[in-house]
Amino acid sequence: MKNFAYARAQDADTAVQLITQNQNAKFLSGGTNLVDLMRENIEQPDHLIDVTGLPLAQVEELPGGGVSIGALVRNSHLAANQIIRERYPVLSQAILMGASAQIRNMATTGGNLMQRTRCYYFYDTDARCNKREPGTGCDALEGFNRIHAILGASDDCIATHPSDMCVALAALDATVHVTGTGVERTIPIVEFHRLPEDTPQIDTNLQPDELITSVELPALPFARNSMYRKVRDRASYAFALVSVAAALEVEDGTIKNVRLALGGVAHKPWRATEAEKVLTGAKADEEIFKRAAAEELKAARGYKHNSFKIELAERTIVSVLKTLASEGGAR
Amino acid sequence: MSETNSGGREFADRTVPVILQINGIKHELQLEPRVSLLDALREYVGLTGTKKGCNQGACGACTVLVDNERINSCFALAVQYQDREITTIEGVAHSDQLHALQAAFIECDGFQCGYCTPGQICSAIAMFEEFKQGAPSAVTEHLAETEIEFSEAEIKERMSGNLCRCGAYVGIVEAIREAFDKEAAR
Amino acid sequence: MSSPKTERRFVGKSVPRKEGRDKVTGAARYVDDIRFPEMLYGATVRTTSPRGRIKEIIFGENVPWDEFTIVTAKDIPGENYVALILNDQPYLVEEFFNHTEEPVLLLAHEDKFLVEKARRSIRFEIEEFSPVFTIEDSVNKREIIWGEDNVFKSFLVDKGNVDEVWESADVIVEGEYLTGAQEQLYIENNGMIAIANHEDGVTVWGSMQCPYYVHKALIKLFNLPEEKVRVVQTETGGGFGGKEEYPSMIAGHAALLSWKSGRPVKIIYDRAEDMAATTKRHPSHTRHRTAVSRDGKLLGMEIDFTVDGGAYATLSAVVLSRGTIHAAGPYLCPNVRIRSRAVATNAPPHGAFRGFGAPQSIFGLERHMDKIAKTLGLSPEEFRRRNFIQEGQTTATQQVIHEKVDLSGLMDRAFELSGYNEKREKFAEQNKSSRLKKGIGFASFMHGAGFTGSGEKYLESVVGAEATEQGNVRILAASTEIGQGTNTIFGQIASEALGIDYNLIEVAKPDTSNVPNSGPTVASRTCMIVGKLVESAALGLKQTLVGSGFLKDSGYTSEDFSNACRAYIEKHGALKSFSKYQQPEGINWDDEHYRGDAYGAYAWAVYVAEVTVDPTVYEAHVDDFVAVQEVGRVINPVLATGQIEGGVAQGIGYTLYENVVWRDGRMANNQMTNYIIPTSADIPPIRVFFAENPYAYGPAGAKGIGELPMDGAAPAILSAIENATGVSINHIPLVPESLMEELETETI
Repeated sequence: MKNFAYARAQDADTAVQLITQNQNAKFLSGGTNLVDLMRENIEQPDHLIDVTGLPLAQVEELPGGGVSIGALVRNSHLAANQIIRERYPVLSQAILMGASAQIRNMATTGGNLMQRTRCYYFYDTDARCNKREPGTGCDALEGFNRIHAILGASDDCIATHPSDMCVALAALDATVHVTGTGVERTIPIVEFHRLPEDTPQIDTNLQPDELITSVELPALPFARNSMYRKVRDRASYAFALVSVAAALEVEDGTIKNVRLALGGVAHKPWRATEAEKVLTGAKADEEIFKRAAAEELKAARGYKHNSFKIELAERTIVSVLKTLASEGGAR
Repeated sequence: MSETNSGGREFADRTVPVILQINGIKHELQLEPRVSLLDALREYVGLTGTKKGCNQGACGACTVLVDNERINSCFALAVQYQDREITTIEGVAHSDQLHALQAAFIECDGFQCGYCTPGQICSAIAMFEEFKQGAPSAVTEHLAETEIEFSEAEIKERMSGNLCRCGAYVGIVEAIREAFDKEAAR
Repeated sequence: MSSPKTERRFVGKSVPRKEGRDKVTGAARYVDDIRFPEMLYGATVRTTSPRGRIKEIIFGENVPWDEFTIVTAKDIPGENYVALILNDQPYLVEEFFNHTEEPVLLLAHEDKFLVEKARRSIRFEIEEFSPVFTIEDSVNKREIIWGEDNVFKSFLVDKGNVDEVWESADVIVEGEYLTGAQEQLYIENNGMIAIANHEDGVTVWGSMQCPYYVHKALIKLFNLPEEKVRVVQTETGGGFGGKEEYPSMIAGHAALLSWKSGRPVKIIYDRAEDMAATTKRHPSHTRHRTAVSRDGKLLGMEIDFTVDGGAYATLSAVVLSRGTIHAAGPYLCPNVRIRSRAVATNAPPHGAFRGFGAPQSIFGLERHMDKIAKTLGLSPEEFRRRNFIQEGQTTATQQVIHEKVDLSGLMDRAFELSGYNEKREKFAEQNKSSRLKKGIGFASFMHGAGFTGSGEKYLESVVGAEATEQGNVRILAASTEIGQGTNTIFGQIASEALGIDYNLIEVAKPDTSNVPNSGPTVASRTCMIVGKLVESAALGLKQTLVGSGFLKDSGYTSEDFSNACRAYIEKHGALKSFSKYQQPEGINWDDEHYRGDAYGAYAWAVYVAEVTVDPTVYEAHVDDFVAVQEVGRVINPVLATGQIEGGVAQGIGYTLYENVVWRDGRMANNQMTNYIIPTSADIPPIRVFFAENPYAYGPAGAKGIGELPMDGAAPAILSAIENATGVSINHIPLVPESLMEELETETI
């Protein structure tokens, strides 16, 4: 690991100021991804600006029923928050199915959003990787690409975004509040992360001088009937092969509202808008769930080792929707 | 090679003074910012009870308590953990009196090679605090309820961040129940 | 006080681990916990392609190379091979290399971060040769990469005449079975510290199973007399076979760096290096062709068993031997032919891992037994019962079983405890309507304890017992505590033999300058073979005390014994007693024909697994596990139970999770985030039961236990999955996409 200079910011303005004044600087929060990548020489910042001291660690109810989550609210605290557990259970579940208790105690909301989209080859500095070293090529395309993307990938990168939390946020229509040099703006979660295209080295649409301050969840009463399902290689503490976050409202047998997002399938948390179109207003039965899943996965492309994920994703979507349709808000 | 201005006094270069409060004792160290809390404990303070298993947050052997919460010390930069109360395995017992969980680990054979054990014990102590505070887990059936049963499934899920290759999991779960069941039932 | 002969005071009791307190308080000292003044940190620069010739080593820029100690093959004072069996594996590549991650160059510096930077900066200019990666390509000699035919070793076991059975057989069943590599993944990575110089010789401290293997290797590497080499085991954070042979490599590297730099050198592998560069379980391929009569009797078995040994011979011959001998299992068959071979590929050498070849061949056999049963229309249990070996009958190597073996009884017990019969019925009914499919299955098997054949005779292991000035007895053995309980059971065996308090027994830390060579800590031999020597060495001590009049022959207290020790030392000086292995009468082994008494004793077992398969998302989970075994007398029930639970946990990983992904002969998923081992949430309740049948030549009647539990989980789980889904699967690991493929193929 390369050495670096360290500073601790006490407020957002100072943090932004520091990052604009210094070349090759990065914000440091829980460190669970950044420190790991630095140890592998994949990230090599010259300056780290520790933002964990910023006063952004609150979960607050907003007028109108939404919730604001400070960027420094740690994952474990967010998952345990009573409002989230009651109104947005999919978010609590997603967080609790991610990583380990120790990591959730360190990782923050903002940090979770900023973790790198990645794969084994990104980590292996002997391999070619356009994300790590643009222009070198992608060894995953022809390599062992079991955990890789089936949707929205490019010939330059087929890595997946590993977050569970962000999949739930994508389903919940969250918006990300950021502050930059004199500018504050909000970015819808589905536009926050990028598809790889021919610049896979850029994971998000956040500008280099911008800092996430909070994530806002809109009021979404039917999200009380929501859930997260994660298919993985072991029962706990493993990345998703495929995951599904969904919220469903059924009235008189008809789907009134639905939100659906997939994890483990793309360079970013994947909001399943095609499936949602098929579902909205339709009769809530297994047949339509299957059709919706098929519609969403129509654009999917498998590689040598990950084609199984296409079917797996379809089946998981159907299984989640069936559960939500039968429970109908029981949770 | 570009020589960048480090931005003035805000940045501490090369080495920095780091004050760590560990097991109730204050340690004044001079560290490079890149030194992890794990390495600071082991190499600079001489507390080698905390173990390095993977150095990437995947095994839990480096688990320590910070303000009574469990973290992976391998991911933590020491410089970030000043002014916090750090507890390691060496600070778990009260002088000669083992912590109830340490005694239970011996009693229930909750280990074999012992390498993951300090992490397991620190992790379980914090795990029980989380449980008492009503924090849910991925297997908690009724997420909105704060009364959760201290079941085997809950313990196993909550301890899944601490790998034991000897496979002493049966004994580990038993030891945790032995040490905490009574309190959980209250 | 009653005599130890009539009432056991320590054996059979669950006394706490000797080193337990140190391990729960963080006081136990593992190699990375130890530092010496002026110590340097060493690193290994390795090949990055599978086969070729190094033309040039290119040192990176911006590294102060003059501050480094750099060692190449030219710096080796003695022989450039890791002395083991065939001595074909070099310590450092001279020119030609045969696998990725092969050590070429060693670096040392006092700044750990700088060593890592330097290591990463070195590149090789190479000429690449065509490599071989699969058993099939190796057997077909697509390239000759080792010796004349890529074969490290082959065996032929021939009993009766299998050629004559095919024509008259009612039914012939064939099958093919595959197992993958498995990483030991001890949580403590490998590591060594060395201090080496011309005056004092070489001393190493480190994590290891076999101090005298390291000792032997260092003697050759440095060309030193044996008294100039000292090997000390530090507390060892798991081994499972993974610290049997490779520590000799690391010890040599650390010592070479120290020899050249004149300073202590520590090498600690990081996780990625340990996973990619060190040994794994041999992948295997088994082919069965079996003749059976319509009433379910085995008539003839032809078994072809091949393991992938990686690039150098290392231990492959012995792994193959154990796998071969276990390939026909605990069944009586009059005609058996087993052909086996270990072949070379351009992967890092595969090595010892708990079970040592047996889990591979037993997996094939037990899956095949299920297949035969199905073909015959018999239940898997009924087919086994008709063929279980009995006392007086012979194994595949024509070893006559002299002990009372009752596999049917073990099966009854296992079925009763697991509710096997009821569940078979219940699940069949439930599965018709339920989305989740449940199943229950079993495996029956045996595992030989101690070295194969004449191995123990040639080893000539020695154990010592000495009286201390405090009046304690100290056991002197090179057998290491690696979590399996060596210290504790040695204490129990000795205290039982002497009739004195357990706390009066000390167990010396293995240090070749202080303990005799009791052989390697492998092969389920520590309790049965070495434990017996502990017993006799302890008794020798007592004999001397009695003979010299310091102690009554019986009816003494612990205090009397301590006083006698002290008195003896005061009068005569040191009191030590040594015991050397002598093969029990009647063990005969023909190494040339691979015939005879392969092992002194076998442990016998029936394991039952219960699973749930979610056919929607292809998840399989083990819900319950019952392990019933006969291992002779159990010395320490809690520790023995832990051994079984641990082996079963590793077996569950081997079956369902642990997939070593190879890319050009290199492990591609060499991280704990992508090589998946079981967590606490994946391990079911494991219910362990021992049937005790004392073995005459084991200490207090004990046999071996360590490897046995690794054998049964995989076939039992796949049998349960077959019961749940109706699909018979013949390969492991069974990751979700393989399960998907199998289930889909079946429904089409």
